[in-house]
Parts: sequence; C-alpha cells; structure tokens
Amino acid sequence: MKPLSVRIGGFGGQGIILTAIILGTAAVKKGNLYAVQTQSYGSEARGGECQAELIISDKPINSPTTEYKDIFVALFQSALDKYLITLKKKGTLIVDPKLVTKIPSIEANIYQVPATETAIKLGNRIAANMVVLGFLQKFIKMISKEDLREVITSMVPKKFIDINLKAFDAGVHFAEDLEITMEDIG
Amino acid sequence: MRRKQVLQGNIIVAKAALAARCNFFAGYPITPSSEIAQFMSRELPRMGYDFIQMEDEIASLGACIGASLSGRKVLTATSGPGFSLMQEHLGMAVMAEIPLVIVNVMRGGPSTGLPTKPSQSDIMQARWGTHGDHPIIALYPAFADEIYSETIRAFNLSEKFWNPVIILLDEVLAKAHEDIELPRKNDIHIYKEKIHRIKDLNIYDREIGENPPRVDFFKGYPIHIDGLEHDKHGWPTSDPETVNKMQTLRMQKIYHYLDEIVKFKEYYMEDAEIMIFSFGVSARSSLAAVKMAREQGIKVGLFQALTIWPFPKIPLKERFKQIKKVLTVELNMGQTKYEIERISLDDVEKKALLRANGIPFTPNEVLDKIREF
Repeated sequence: MKPLSVRIGGFGGQGIILTAIILGTAAVKKGNLYAVQTQSYGSEARGGECQAELIISDKPINSPTTEYKDIFVALFQSALDKYLITLKKKGTLIVDPKLVTKIPSIEANIYQVPATETAIKLGNRIAANMVVLGFLQKFIKMISKEDLREVITSMVPKKFIDINLKAFDAGVHFAEDLEITMEDIG
Repeated sequence: MRRKQVLQGNIIVAKAALAARCNFFAGYPITPSSEIAQFMSRELPRMGYDFIQMEDEIASLGACIGASLSGRKVLTATSGPGFSLMQEHLGMAVMAEIPLVIVNVMRGGPSTGLPTKPSQSDIMQARWGTHGDHPIIALYPAFADEIYSETIRAFNLSEKFWNPVIILLDEVLAKAHEDIELPRKNDIHIYKEKIHRIKDLNIYDREIGENPPRVDFFKGYPIHIDGLEHDKHGWPTSDPETVNKMQTLRMQKIYHYLDEIVKFKEYYMEDAEIMIFSFGVSARSSLAAVKMAREQGIKVGLFQALTIWPFPKIPLKERFKQIKKVLTVELNMGQTKYEIERISLDDVEKKALLRANGIPFTPNEVLDKIREF
C-alpha cells in the first residue's frame, strides 16, 4: 500500500488528537500496520489552534511528518485557511459546514459532514470528533467499523462510551451511500 | 509474534525506566515532558516506591541526588527552562560522581520560549550547561524502539560510570503516538554493579581509567560527599596535585570507555559520497530524504548519532577519510555544525540545514539541501 497521511485540524478541545490516536491505534492493533501520530497546538489549555497528523503504512515509518496529506479534515475555518495548501492535489477534504463556511475552489473531493450539529442532536457537542471518525472510516479500507468501535470503547472514559459510539455510528451512516475507491483519496 | 502497542514517546521513556528498575522520581512537571512525571506518579507508589513532586527543578535534582546516594535508581524529566534550573545540581552530581538520569524533552528557547514546539537547541547546554570542566554523557534517540533502549542504556551507563546521563528527546517524538514492540523482560540487559564494602573510607580511590567503586552506604561508616574538590576520602582539598588527579579521574572514567559509550547508526553509507549527520527527529526526516535521493541516483548516506556527548568524533573522523561532503541537519541555529567543522578538515565540503522556528524538517526540505551539493 501507499502510505496514507491524514491531517485533522481545528481548535483545542474538539478531540482532534484523540481521533488521530484512535485511528492510529486501530491501524496498528487491528490492521497490523505501522502508524505515527504527531500533533501541534498552542500553549493554551483549551481553545487554541490544534492539529493532528497521522501516517499509516504497511512499512516502518521514517519521517513522522509529511509535506502533503491525502486526507484533510477541517473542523474550523482558521484550520482550513492555514492547512489547505498541505492537501494533495485531488485529495480528500472533509469539513464541518457549521464551522467551515468558506471553501476556496480547489481540485479536491470535498465532503461536508455536519459533525457538530449531529453531536449536539445526540446530546453532547464534544462527540463531534466521533462523527468525523465514523465518516473517515469509509476511506481507510484496512480498518473496519467494528475494529474502530472496539478501540473507541477501550480508549474513551466509561461514561462517554455510549455517546461516542452513537456519534461514530452517525458518521458511518453519513458515509454509507458514498462510493469511494482508494483513487479518490488522492 | 509479539503484539504491537501504540505508545506515546514520553510513556515509552517511563516504561523503559521502570524496566531498568528505576525506583525513585523527583520532578516538577513541565510541557512537553509532563506525561513522564504523570506516569511515574501513578506507577511508582503502586510498586511501593517513591514519587515526589518538588517545588522546582533545582530541588528535584537535589532530591534525586539524595535518593541516588541512598541506593535508589533515579529519574527526573524536564524541559529547557527546568533543565536550566538543574544545572547547579547537575554539576554537583558530576563532581560527587552520583548516578542519575535526566530526561530533557527539548522545546523552543531561550527562556519559556515555545512550550509546545520542537527544538534541538539544548545540545550545547547538555554539554556545557553546568560550569567547570566536566565529563557528561548525553543520549539522543530518534525511533520509538530507540527511546526505549536508550533509556535503559542511560541507566546502565550512569550506574556503571557513576555519572549523570542526559537523555535529549525531541518534542515531536515525546508527544507522538507510535507503534512499538516492547522487548521481553529477559531480553533487557540491566547493568548490575558490584557493591564494595568500604574498609578505609577511600570512596573515591581508584586508578585512572577505572570506574569508581560503588560503596555500601548506610552501613555504619561515616562518608563525606562534597561539591568541593575532594581527595580520595571525599574530604575538601585544593592541593594542586590531588585536584589534578581527581579531574583526570573523572574525565578518564568516561573517555577511556568511548567504544562502549558512543553509539550511532549508519544508513546507506557503504558507497556514500555525501554524508548527512543528524539525530532525533531530524535524522528521521533525513533517512526518508536519503531513500528518496537514492531513488534518484544520488549517493548519500546517513550517520545518526545516538550518543551526542561524548561526540562521535573518532568514527566521524574515520568517515571523513572517504567522504568529502557532509550535511548537518539540526533544528537549531548550528550547534553540532560547529563540532563537525572542528573535526573535519578543509577538504570536506560542509553544508548545514538549520532552523529554529518550531517546525520539524520534511524529507523534501532535506532532499532539496542534498541536491545543493
């Protein structure tokens, strides 16, 4: 396989880093692949700029960061503005339309996933990241929905497992009707 | 097949420390090293050992020195600002020959600098941060498995040579979550020192080039540990002959064992015409760049330093006999670059890829620099 690189960007508190860790953990433990997750954020405890990077590969990974990403998930306008240039040509862009309203015209497969709105409906807006994870799962063939559900259950606090899984399922549902091949990813 | 785990770099350090039988931690949490203290605060008391959060980093290293003298295997973890505060006690530990391991997860500096951004700019501080001529060992892992093995090696070296050992770690790698296969307990080598019964209180007595004897503290013998220059009994002295001997003893216990202490890895070096010298996260980007360059037919190799102090002078000098182009890649404004300049002759063409803005190099950036030769 070609190494797959993903960036999730937004602000601190959205569960961006956790989402990348869960995806990476599933790739390693369930997909028997290699994964490196890195991150950058400001000094603020909450609310600052935050982004996580994930590389998944079937070979050991040398550089923990890559220049261009196959998939970019933007969960805030400022993250999109800053990191859109790092998305590969014809790559996949996933945005939350509630938080990202201005998307420049680019050569990319763009998906609008109402993650925050869905999470609010389910009872807790902080589960928006799980909606995104459910949607992302469709693009990463090596990891199944069941694998991810298992990893989520093992990694989130007990009292939030239920809401997280519900949000994850909602994300899976959004992606169900999509016909996606690996070529679409970029 | 061993099951792979996904662990954060900081947690790998902490787990390796416990595997090396570390049983004391005193520290003051600081980004980006906090997870080490957090993990130790949970695990050490559970095992019946001690974790102390001190009021600052000077006190932290003071507590570590005391604990080490009482026979504990000690660890502390910090970042640049805390490492600055530790320098006074680091000198004390060198002078009194006290084994301990300090992890410095580097962040951008100077001062409080860039708390959440990577930087490789404490390399010279690790070497010369504390005052006076002194020996130091500093290790610099890059890959997840090296973070584990080098942490264990740090404990072994500190115990064997009775000297503080510093682990320099990059913020990116300390915070990254990565797959790792931890070694089996039986596959881990732990240095076990011989305990010498003190008969005549000559606790610093040995021949030049020998390791100091490990003494059996708290067995009823009065001993003296001092930051002042001391004689073989540990008592303060300024007698020039004794001072000279003690300085030499401290330096030579390390410099007689360079073969054992200096560790490095080489990639694609057999036929290399260009050598990259790098370490930590920059070595990882460099390795990716070397592979890309090789695909384009550029004969480039990577020398990755795992021991940064003592500097791998002898093996590098050997490489410079054949290789006449060297590229230093480091996330600072040129710290090891000068070391390379010191040990390579004028017939070696030297370039450096340097940056200190908190952003690690991508493989493409290293590749572009390789192409400048």
